[in-house]
Amino acid sequence: MPGNPPPDSTLPPGEVLVIEDLDVTVHHGAATALRGISLTVRPGEIVGLVGESGSGKTLTCRAALGVLPPGVAVTQGTITFDGQNVTDLPSRRWQRLHGSRIGAVFQDPAAYLNPNLTVGSQLAEVLRVKRGLRRGQARDKAIELLTAVGLHQARRVVHQIPAELSGGMLQRVMIAIAISCDPDLLIADEATTALDVTIQAEIIELIKDLRDQRGLAVLFVSHDLAVIRELCDRVVVFYAGQVVESGPVQEIIERPRHPYTQALLRVASAGDFQRRDLEVIAGQPPRVGARISGCRFAGRCPAAVDACRAASVPLTRLGPEHEARCVRVDDPALSAASAVLAAGPELASR
Amino acid sequence: MTTTAATGPLLEVSGVDVVLGRGGRASLVLSGVDLNVWPGEIVGLVGETGSGKTTLARTIVGLARPRAGRVLFNGREISSLRGAARRRERRSGHIQLVFQDPLRSLDPDLTVGDIVGEGLKIRGDLPAGQIGERVGEALTMVGLTTVLRPQRPGQLSGGQRQRVSIARALAAGPRLLLCDEPVSALDASNRNYILRLLAGLRDRLGLPIVIISHDLSSLAGIADRVVVLYRGRIVEDGPVSQVFTTPRHPYTALLMASAPRVSAHGTQPGRELSVHQLRRTTADPEPPTAPGACVFAARCPFAMAACAVQPPLDPVAGPAGSRWSAACVRHDEWPALARERSPVVAARLPARARS
Repeated sequence: MPGNPPPDSTLPPGEVLVIEDLDVTVHHGAATALRGISLTVRPGEIVGLVGESGSGKTLTCRAALGVLPPGVAVTQGTITFDGQNVTDLPSRRWQRLHGSRIGAVFQDPAAYLNPNLTVGSQLAEVLRVKRGLRRGQARDKAIELLTAVGLHQARRVVHQIPAELSGGMLQRVMIAIAISCDPDLLIADEATTALDVTIQAEIIELIKDLRDQRGLAVLFVSHDLAVIRELCDRVVVFYAGQVVESGPVQEIIERPRHPYTQALLRVASAGDFQRRDLEVIAGQPPRVGARISGCRFAGRCPAAVDACRAASVPLTRLGPEHEARCVRVDDPALSAASAVLAAGPELASR
Repeated sequence: MTTTAATGPLLEVSGVDVVLGRGGRASLVLSGVDLNVWPGEIVGLVGETGSGKTTLARTIVGLARPRAGRVLFNGREISSLRGAARRRERRSGHIQLVFQDPLRSLDPDLTVGDIVGEGLKIRGDLPAGQIGERVGEALTMVGLTTVLRPQRPGQLSGGQRQRVSIARALAAGPRLLLCDEPVSALDASNRNYILRLLAGLRDRLGLPIVIISHDLSSLAGIADRVVVLYRGRIVEDGPVSQVFTTPRHPYTALLMASAPRVSAHGTQPGRELSVHQLRRTTADPEPPTAPGACVFAARCPFAMAACAVQPPLDPVAGPAGSRWSAACVRHDEWPALARERSPVVAARLPARARS
């Protein structure tokens, strides 16, 4: 198989989530959407997943949460949460982990809250069910949590229904629910994508604070490398259902080694507010489950050579934590060749 | 680039108030909005959710009616038109709005060709053959092949759907294009593609474009002028090169400081402000809360007694002919005050246990 997951079966202490060589099929096995995904999240670490839509980031999160939709199945590999193999855990046992050990936050907070109940009662319900608090205790704890996530008027907010709160406030409520039982792991799937930039910056700070204060481990999904850069310690780059590069954020931003990562960086928000050419990544990603011999990015890669298409490409270890899946990863000419990539198509010429 | 030509603005919005809802639920969504668009310029309209960006666009095209103020297009008042005159103006297609969500604004049962040609068909002044030609031209202009004509929106990617929306607007032969959040649902590469496409349309057709976005940094790449809206009021309006170098309204500065970036912070020491220098803390004096106070006062760390009255959007000193204005009584003072504030986090709730 492509990739060389660490062979040790005894888990090193202090890894909250370990995904090893995971394959996931969709459409009842008709297509393989994830191929050999391996990643780890340690306590107090924020790991970012980045890639285009359809690259498998969300599916990886759902597998790690044990909430794969019907027709989607893990066909290979293991998911280990806090030393326990949870790959084939029955849903009743998952429920014990959800909310209490693993929290989750998604893009659209309004969709996960009951529009007719006050946010206080929804937060208190979690505390009563998952932590066995009594009504009064749960209420006090709810106010404490809402204050901790930066809602200044928590005493008022508990009596409000979701429609009375803004998107940023709702996302804070979702985070309060997700951390209400002191989970070990928070999974945030595009949790800031729909928010205004000022609110996004506040939520990013909140997640960092929670990590600092509680040692929370976070798996954070975003299609925006700039957001990943602001928040994460390590980043895993997805392309067409595979990990193409992973490593410490700063190293990946400063010295990306895979042509796809290099392209993502060139199109990301520089944030310097300077006028510059806006670059694009030419071409389209392959369809989910497409059978491609060799590198899955070769079709869009200007640095591609015959060797790229000859056989599947394994991850090459480039540093203690840095890996990339590219035949030419050690070729000094690679960066120059891939720079052509974002030179951009002729707009509107055909 | 914007030239200070002798020609007047193509679009003049002046003193527009818009009220949405009725009775007890009525709320003033836009208040005293002035906005000019000159021929051939790209204007970026930024602001957060609920600031009134979309309502302003809808007011310009005539989908919302102002309670006060006027909208002039090419010197002619269009906001007061009623009945047949109003329908005629709308059908002329002079001003086209590209809606926010292509999945919801494109009819899922129509083909791409039908969607792009529908407006022309309703207008009824072109034979079918010519409509077909115009549809083909519009699709070509947005970089889509005519092979897509028989497809339906559900079969297209997000970026392609957005281009279909733009093609539909172009088919009408507009003289002004308004795009409501054209890139917010797209990934970085598709976002850049759409923005370049719009810049190309301006360059080749001289088409003025208003781009509504909550993302300041992507506008920096293509806009000539930026207009910042906060809670229904324009708080700053000026050339991007000026506004993005030395913003004169603290809200503009906060938006800029909040934008995520791949480049390391602090690459422009002395000029770049941190969000912590621009956010209110509990240590700041209470802002004025009178009903007519500055809209930003409640979030502004520099608010003082004089901010109890909303300042007008007044010209600020800039390069000659730069048409730069801001609505802040302290527009000259706050940058220095901001630099005196701590650029790192002011003590948040519980003390942080850092190792």
